[in-house]
Amino acid sequence: MMIALNILSDAFFAAIAAMGFGAISDPSMRSFKFIAILAALGHACRYSLMTFAGFDIATGSLCGALLIGFGSIWLGKKVYSPMTVLYIPALLPMIPGRFAYNMVFSQIMFLQSMDNVAERTKYMDMFFSNTMVTCTVVFLLAVGATVPMFLFPKRAYSLTRHNR
Amino acid sequence: MARETIAEVGKFIAEYSAHLMGCGVHTSRVIRNSKRICQSFGYDLNISAYPKNIILTLRDTESDGLFNEVVGTPALPISFEHNSELSALSWEAFDKHLPLSTLWQKYKEIISAPRINPLFVLIMVGLANASFCRLFGGDWLSMVIVFSATLSGLFLKQKMLAGKINEYVTFIASAFVASLCASTALIFHTTADIALATSVLYLVPGVPLINGVIDIVEGHTLSGFARLTQASLLILSIAIGLSFTLWLVKDNLL
Repeated sequence: MMIALNILSDAFFAAIAAMGFGAISDPSMRSFKFIAILAALGHACRYSLMTFAGFDIATGSLCGALLIGFGSIWLGKKVYSPMTVLYIPALLPMIPGRFAYNMVFSQIMFLQSMDNVAERTKYMDMFFSNTMVTCTVVFLLAVGATVPMFLFPKRAYSLTRHNR
Repeated sequence: MARETIAEVGKFIAEYSAHLMGCGVHTSRVIRNSKRICQSFGYDLNISAYPKNIILTLRDTESDGLFNEVVGTPALPISFEHNSELSALSWEAFDKHLPLSTLWQKYKEIISAPRINPLFVLIMVGLANASFCRLFGGDWLSMVIVFSATLSGLFLKQKMLAGKINEYVTFIASAFVASLCASTALIFHTTADIALATSVLYLVPGVPLINGVIDIVEGHTLSGFARLTQASLLILSIAIGLSFTLWLVKDNLL
């Protein structure tokens, strides 16, 4: 019961985050609900895999992104939108913000503790591990969601074609 | 019906492709859409699209007529709506063989349609960033602080971009203001570092980041790297703005 609630709340907040971040890029009103569904599915998928199946954040993100990608090729036809219009906002809540922040934070602290070797090494280590996670996850997110476009090019390229 | 001349079609394609490129569409889609429209008029199109300019040549296979053009890409705000509608227009042109005058008219209608209300965007982004804070494990108080921090930061960004101020300066200022507002969380007994971390995330340039990766994977390596470089510079600007705040409050964070 508690588990189901956790997954649902994760999906709910991911959906709101995706709709908000999508709103910056001027999507059509009709695509909002599909962005929300895709984001909720993708983020909840990653959350479940990481919490219950012991996946690491990179593999979990790749699975979530694949789900979003396949979802967007299927739903895109309903709103005559290209895949990217649906999946870019849906991917945004999966961007590893904590790691990106720690990257900046450790860089500043590294520069501030130049004369203390122990501190310096600690922040150097922190900087590299956070940078690696951030870059890998962002790259895998983009690749994962794009894979369906390469698997089904014909459908992906004619999503905006009416009456077919 | 008289056939449209190659120059007239070429001028439309130049304008159309430059607009698509400017409003954040990945390179292969710009090329596909433009070729599709040319095809419906019976011309061949060869095109090189880069983030700053587009080079195109139309060829008439019957009479060996040629039309060359190099157009600069305008710096437009990203618009998914234009992406969808203009792509749909290319299919409509292809399926119904629309005349050029109709195409121009529909094109002008699409690009002059009003964007989403900025106030609505402001509230939505505030809520989104607050939810983001929640996803990272922030508590309710942090969410409220992040909401207000996002409102002030994004409001500043909208005003500065409307005033045509340099994009990087805008991002630095906006990240600084948002994180400074979020640093008020340090006063309360709450998840302050999460509030600080999420307060600037609404600025992350997700569209150029993902478009860049798509372009590279599809073989448009130059424009892909150009997009990724631009995105990295914007992320660097966010980091600079955030680091001003961290530098101010670092003694309270440790």
